[in-house]
Amino acid sequence: MRTNLFTLTAAAGALALTLTACGSDDGGGDGGGDGSLAGEGSGDACVIEGEVPVGAAVSLTGAAGSYGESQRNGLELATTHLNEQEGVTYALTVEDDQTDPKQAISLFEGFVGDGTSIIIGPTLSNTAFQAQPIAQEGEVPVLAISNTAEGITEQGDWIFRDSLTEGQVIPQTVAQSVEAFGLENVVVMYSNDDAFTESGYEVMAESLEGEDITVASTLTFSKADTDFRALLTEAKNAEPDAIFVSGLIEAAIPLVTQARELGLDVPIIGGNGFNNPQLMTDAGDAAEGVVVGAAWNSASDNPENAAFLEAYEAEYDKAPDQFAAQAYAAMTIIDHAVREGCDGGREAIKAGLGNITDLPTVLGSISINENRDAEHDAVVQVVEDGSFAVLN
Amino acid sequence: MFSESTLVFIALGAIFAYSFYAVLVAGQLSLGQAGFASLAAFTGATLAPAPDDVGDLPALLIAIVIGMSVGAVTAVVLGLPTMRLRGVFLAIATLAFAEAVRILIINMEWTGGAQGMSVPKVVEPWMAWAILAIVAYWFWRQGNSRYGRALEAIREDELAARAMGIDVGSHRLSAFVSAGALAGLYGVLWAFFVRLLAPEDFGFAKAIDGLVTAVVGGSTAFFGPPLGSFFLEMVPEVQRAIGIEAGWIRPFLASLLMLLVILFLPGGLASLLPRRSQKLVLASSGDDAGSLTQRVHPAPGETVVQLAGLGKDYGGVHANKDIDLHVTGGEVIGLIGPNGAGKTTLVNMISGLTRPTSGTAEVLGLQPGRAAVHKIAAAGVSRTFQHSKLFARLSALENVMVGGHLVSKPTFLRRLLWLPSARRDEQQAARHAASCLERVGLADKAGNKASALSYGDQRRLEIARALASDPSLLILDEPAAGMNHVEADALSDLIASLASDGLTILLIEHNVGMVMKTCSRIVVLNFGEVIATGTPEEIANNPAVVEAYLGSSESEDAS
Repeated sequence: MRTNLFTLTAAAGALALTLTACGSDDGGGDGGGDGSLAGEGSGDACVIEGEVPVGAAVSLTGAAGSYGESQRNGLELATTHLNEQEGVTYALTVEDDQTDPKQAISLFEGFVGDGTSIIIGPTLSNTAFQAQPIAQEGEVPVLAISNTAEGITEQGDWIFRDSLTEGQVIPQTVAQSVEAFGLENVVVMYSNDDAFTESGYEVMAESLEGEDITVASTLTFSKADTDFRALLTEAKNAEPDAIFVSGLIEAAIPLVTQARELGLDVPIIGGNGFNNPQLMTDAGDAAEGVVVGAAWNSASDNPENAAFLEAYEAEYDKAPDQFAAQAYAAMTIIDHAVREGCDGGREAIKAGLGNITDLPTVLGSISINENRDAEHDAVVQVVEDGSFAVLN
Repeated sequence: MFSESTLVFIALGAIFAYSFYAVLVAGQLSLGQAGFASLAAFTGATLAPAPDDVGDLPALLIAIVIGMSVGAVTAVVLGLPTMRLRGVFLAIATLAFAEAVRILIINMEWTGGAQGMSVPKVVEPWMAWAILAIVAYWFWRQGNSRYGRALEAIREDELAARAMGIDVGSHRLSAFVSAGALAGLYGVLWAFFVRLLAPEDFGFAKAIDGLVTAVVGGSTAFFGPPLGSFFLEMVPEVQRAIGIEAGWIRPFLASLLMLLVILFLPGGLASLLPRRSQKLVLASSGDDAGSLTQRVHPAPGETVVQLAGLGKDYGGVHANKDIDLHVTGGEVIGLIGPNGAGKTTLVNMISGLTRPTSGTAEVLGLQPGRAAVHKIAAAGVSRTFQHSKLFARLSALENVMVGGHLVSKPTFLRRLLWLPSARRDEQQAARHAASCLERVGLADKAGNKASALSYGDQRRLEIARALASDPSLLILDEPAAGMNHVEADALSDLIASLASDGLTILLIEHNVGMVMKTCSRIVVLNFGEVIATGTPEEIANNPAVVEAYLGSSESEDAS
């Protein structure tokens, strides 16, 4: 009996291995589906018979679930809008990576294997380093919509992104704040157990050094922290001109509120993580005067953005955040890449993404540079009367 | 559905679950495995040569060796101070360790902080499955070895295991170290598959994943962890395949399914498959049966137990006071007295389970209370307990084989190598156990679970288990409780025959008739003190004894 069970286990293993072998054969045969994705005409006149399959792997549940939810909303709204136009139809599949690298890797393998034309995601940068190489090896274009870490696009020539890196947003935020407030002596706070906020801090420290600003003290916290009073008291004792924070929105709200409670009235300057309408709804008056450097100017009145704000509010009954905007812009970019060659195949989309120049999107006029990174204006915003305004 | 990563993650999940299984079989709940895995992964990935220089497989193997060593060494360092902790306390201590490791790694320069370090992808499904096969093989062979049985005995009843001569401390530590090494193995494999090694992937959730996999799969059968891993990895795959919408509903359904498994299969998925067959030994040849009993018992007149002024206080309450007792080889001593007289405390001190607070005790040349319980057992003291302390989920035969721990040879390492001598030794141990069962009249119930036996049979099984260690001093704590007259008479005959084999027997019993019939000398305790010692006739006529049992005439008058 014992032997039988062992044999059974071994047999199950062998069977499973055989099945993979078959699976990878299927993966190679995806070229067949591309035929119907080649259309006629170009640009607005492009007509593609088949639906262009777009796969998104975002974190709908788990620790990053709140970001993924916004991303799904943005992607679905954009797909609905694009499908209303003549010529090209997109079949969007939004999958959940559960904020778990295992799921993200599986999802990417699935998309590579099922003939998906382009993969969007995943939500977090660390997961991106784990999952995106699979698309690179499988030669499927990837458009990252929220990965801000350095090195994402260096993973290979199939990886693109429309999210600005910390290196693109933060130096500008630092420079503008220094000028606007005449800063000389600041305190820096960041959560050191999160990849995004930690790399944001690194850029922040570098920029402050470049501007010759004295950093009176650098304080670290955990992304799970909610009580910042001790740290803020320490910050207050340093008598800074401003506090720079690299943190997520979950930390931003209590941090800002408690700072004001402690009578710390100097400007608080945050990064992409702060660019969320929740800051004003949850922190209320305390959020007034908070400076947020961001990739998306929510107050921008460019026609794409105005239409997006209105449509998003109508559909989901709340204001979009940066994650939603970047997701929405991704579909605009993909649509442009597809229509350019009038081909929804992987190769064509890859080629098209390389040629995005001055494309109007909700993020502003966007270009994709030779490193496959997006370039568009970052914005430094300040909270005024409960909403974001551009800092002058 | 069976993509490359799914296959790898099933194997990896099973390996990680085995690191929980390794301690769960010994009844320990540790949540520190994520910490071991994380330390091992970061060290292994940093120190191992690059796959481009030495080739994929050599690089991976070197990293595995480093990782497993780091895991094992860390487990020793953590285990030495924490192995005294039990149950939830051990879980909390190990969890704290894992959290400390996570914080340490986030704040170290060489690990890349929260952004982690990138590691080349080397692991292929066949590698992961080959390694899983080795690990599963290890636990399969451990199962029916002397070592494996000892761990199971510790899980079922630690005190009884101790009394059977098992060195509980070192067994628990070795189980913990194997858990550390396996967690290290998992950490390295994970690192060399997912490309980016980040501290956040070794948090509390990871530890819970491993524990859940082991428990859902089944923590008492060696094939449980792979079953659990297969189940948990396939749930999301199947949900995707049948098109359940992405979002909260999927984790909700997965949790619900897990709840159902635990509710209806408390033994895990492994309980769906028949449990490994009991080792019912065909007494193929009786040639060397019984050769495990080689102890030379103390001759009549030689000292077996010498107590002088022995006492035990529980915060002012004298459980025992000034006990002087001298027992010589071959005696059958009856220990009687009213409830609460301190009989059990006394035998607990003799067998080393309880430390005396005053006086001295010497048993078979050792000093109980100073020497470890398993050493007292090794010197030849064996006992039964007032309330059955059987290894409930083991079969009757396995219970007795654990009892024979001290007289049988270790077989695990030889079983790994399939040496025929291991099989011979196992068979000999089983035959020895079977003969002990036969002696108490339980030969036909060898394959039954201990918990499924009737009360009287459980008492007899305890005696068989105590006999299996070939003791010189056998302590029986109320063995006839719950037996009818016929059974009690049979027990008396058994005790007499054991005495004629040269064993010294200490019998606690309320059945005074049986004590009078069986014992050569009787000691009467009351309120923790010896009130009378003598032959059965002397005791029967001793007024102090009569008073202790029936109450004095004065107090009767007073009432």
